[in-house]
Amino acid sequence: MDNTRRGFFQFLARGAGLLVVSGVAMKTLAGRLFREVLPARSIAPTNRKWVMVADLAKCDGCKDCTKACTKMHFVPPLQEWMKVYEVSDNAAAGSYFLPRTCMHCDNPPCVRGCPVGATYKRTDGIVMMDQERCIGCRNCIAQCPYSARFFNWAEPPHTAEELKNVYSVEHNYPHRRGVVEKCILCPEMLREGMLPGCAEACKMGALYFGDELEDAVTNAKGETMQFSKIAAKGAGFRLMEELGTEPRVYYLPPVNRKYPSPGEKHMNQMGAAVPEEKPMHDMGAMGKGQA
Amino acid sequence: MNERETNLLRSMRTDGAGFRVWVFGLIMVILWGAFAYFRQLRFGLVETGMRDQISWGLYISNFVFFIGISHAGTLISAILRVTDADWRCPITRMAEGITVVALCIGGCMVLIDLGRPERALNLFRYGRIQSPIVWDVLSVSTYLAGCLVYFYLPLLPDLAILQAQPGISPLRRRLYRALSLGWTGVPSDWHLLEKAISVMAVAIIPLAISVHTVVSWIFAMTLRPGWDSSIFGPYFVVGAIYSGAAAVVLAMCILRRVMRLEAYLQPVHFRNLGLLLLSFSLLYLYFNINEYLTVGYKFQSGEKVLLDRLLYGDYAPYFWVVQVVGVALPMLLMMGVLGPKRFRHFTVPGLGLASFLAIVGAWAKRYLIVVPTLSSPFLPIQGVPETWAHYVPSWVEWSITAAAFAAFLLLYTLLAKLFPVVSIWETRPPEAAALTEEPAPAFRPGVWGPAVRVPLLLVAALVLGAVAARAQDKPKGEPGPVQPTTLSVTWKALASEEVPRMEDGRAGATTAAPGKIYLSTRGMPHLWHSENPKSEPAHSVVEVSAQLRDGSGQPLAYQAVGFALKTSLGTLDFGKRPTDDEGKVQLVVRDRRYGQYRMDVAFQGDASHPPSQGQVLVDFGSRPAPALPEGGVLISPNFSAAIGLPFLFFYGSMWCVMAYVVGYLVLVRMRRERQRPQ
Repeated sequence: MDNTRRGFFQFLARGAGLLVVSGVAMKTLAGRLFREVLPARSIAPTNRKWVMVADLAKCDGCKDCTKACTKMHFVPPLQEWMKVYEVSDNAAAGSYFLPRTCMHCDNPPCVRGCPVGATYKRTDGIVMMDQERCIGCRNCIAQCPYSARFFNWAEPPHTAEELKNVYSVEHNYPHRRGVVEKCILCPEMLREGMLPGCAEACKMGALYFGDELEDAVTNAKGETMQFSKIAAKGAGFRLMEELGTEPRVYYLPPVNRKYPSPGEKHMNQMGAAVPEEKPMHDMGAMGKGQA
Repeated sequence: MNERETNLLRSMRTDGAGFRVWVFGLIMVILWGAFAYFRQLRFGLVETGMRDQISWGLYISNFVFFIGISHAGTLISAILRVTDADWRCPITRMAEGITVVALCIGGCMVLIDLGRPERALNLFRYGRIQSPIVWDVLSVSTYLAGCLVYFYLPLLPDLAILQAQPGISPLRRRLYRALSLGWTGVPSDWHLLEKAISVMAVAIIPLAISVHTVVSWIFAMTLRPGWDSSIFGPYFVVGAIYSGAAAVVLAMCILRRVMRLEAYLQPVHFRNLGLLLLSFSLLYLYFNINEYLTVGYKFQSGEKVLLDRLLYGDYAPYFWVVQVVGVALPMLLMMGVLGPKRFRHFTVPGLGLASFLAIVGAWAKRYLIVVPTLSSPFLPIQGVPETWAHYVPSWVEWSITAAAFAAFLLLYTLLAKLFPVVSIWETRPPEAAALTEEPAPAFRPGVWGPAVRVPLLLVAALVLGAVAARAQDKPKGEPGPVQPTTLSVTWKALASEEVPRMEDGRAGATTAAPGKIYLSTRGMPHLWHSENPKSEPAHSVVEVSAQLRDGSGQPLAYQAVGFALKTSLGTLDFGKRPTDDEGKVQLVVRDRRYGQYRMDVAFQGDASHPPSQGQVLVDFGSRPAPALPEGGVLISPNFSAAIGLPFLFFYGSMWCVMAYVVGYLVLVRMRRERQRPQ
């Protein structure tokens, strides 16, 4: 190109033309890129906001919830989607049982971090998990502060009953190797208008489940409570509120318990000679029992 | 062709027994690693020592380590080139080679870590720009491409020299000729090459810094103690340059010995690079103090557990290896050999040892970043076997790690055999180089052509991320008929009480357009669609009234009437209330409830009055349209502009620069200028 006025104007004209064309192209394509409509799988079958309330005062640590969950979902060994921890906030406060499901956070770190959208939030609040898309990078496990995610390190042992089913994101089985697993709040049960497996199995009635938009939660004993009222009156709290994950699982504090605390339970089982700081984080016995 | 160049080229061609044994040994290690990986593919990651608690281990440590090493070359050589430090010339090629090879190995480590490597392409098919993993894919691939370009460009004149050499195999000659792109060494070639290299040198600096920052973000974007740190980006970058510079020094020491490069690599090169390494070790020490002191001063609960384990717990050996072997010792050693005059004979071996220690420390540090944090989760590790709570790498992991190092060495050896490890043309004395100064070029608009095309290329990149969306119909229930009995029940909505609003004061009830459910993207700019119909409708305060009458129609006063609301999973009991003297009873419900519900009102009856019941369908206001939670930008399944555009813009412009340099300057302009009659 010549270093002339004419050449310069030609250059300007060409540049302007290109800018216009690319602007139009960008506008058109951006419309396709910046979608605000949710993809179909993110839309729940019903317009609800599921919420769970665990009344820690009623939990006696029987682990019926874990067993029911494991049975219902054919959960691979050593995974506890619904897990009962024994924790204590400080030495003086003593210990209590803490049933932990997936928190189905409204600001879920796992969903933020998933590179392929294999774990995703549904409009009814459930954090779903699609094992057919998961690449097994385990970033979600690193992201989850509640240790609520598990990985199928080996091919999970299958039962004939499990293999009868066809895989669906709503039940996550038959299980497969190399992907992440977690509690998905039993969407199949919810479709039928039933409580999730863990809440249904809780003989203590410690696990309440319901729709926040109905402002009502129900437990396995058929007791229905006004969610906003028990959360407010019972000083409901959420686990690790300070992390800003906005869990959909609420806890009522373990006050006025009718059942022995984990510490007392261990004392009863093993005789009074057990040192009191022992039971807390040392759960080797449980592990051996399962392995 | 002077003596040292002849030596250099001869060392490329000779392959003595030592070389063969070396390559054979490396291949054996790689084959063993391949066998281990085959087992892992066959039986799954259960073959590793990783478990649910500590779900990242050696592989991710190696990944971070190799990406760190890769900062060696390109960044250092680019900085030196931009600042016109002439002493760089003999070392840039070997440094850039480390970068290219380390990046390839680092990328493979991530693939090896995947539970489902065969689905890795999902990253492109379903990639979500909100995920740090996708940032990583974007940045590492861009960096690898950039480093290849930056490695390749200065090779062009050397390839032309090589293909003219006598006594090389025809296969090699064909390869060199093809790669040299018909380099003739005319002034226009030199001019365009200089230009291309300088553009790449400038572009590669921010690119390299971004890469290790993004790698650090994989950790820093989590909530875990030890990772949740705002200085992780610069901390990683400095650590990466430190380990990378150490790798360059070590490679210089070894290659100087093996390939007899004493004529090229003189003590001054070691001294200059040693000073750079020393300053980065000081900088790294500063970052270490900053990182651990700010945490250790406060002893937040989670951080305290972690820090106790690092300082005197089970990870203390690693911690002190990093601090003493990796930072303090090399620093003292370098101060010794670079400082007092009488120790200067030991500059080369001293720096070699220091950089080896630095690399060992760097590797231990990567392990220390990944593993202890994962083994100190917020909730205690309970109910799993003891071995699950402690990470011990398995033989499979060690084998693959050994194979990764062997592959690194093998690729680097082959690279050194295939291409001269020292840039021949750059190390020639100035008068021998064919570069002739041209007058400063006048304004030539043609150069800007590709720059105008940048938006188009960006758009092309954006299209790749587009995701299909589908709409779904929303079912809506029909209100049932009211069934009055002797207990006649009515309801009315009292003054509408609104849900506590967000400050932005959005308007009330609206429903989503049929078939479309919108993302909630509060607080985010709407770039192309202005309307966002998501909002929370008000819920009503409802008054339910019942009139109790006996069989003759007379109102029954002072009787208990129970109210119960049928919810989808149960029945919400409101308890009993007495009727007033007109037989009326009211219940005001102020719950935060939406939708229509059946209210059952029951009179239990007594001796003289039979029980009766009634029901009414109460409407508490329409439910809010289904949506993801407020502020769902980062969890959106779709492209998020706020986080996606900066990434796409940055890495997109890097690809554009590369396309400009390779596609236009080298492939088009160079050829065109050659054909132009002089």
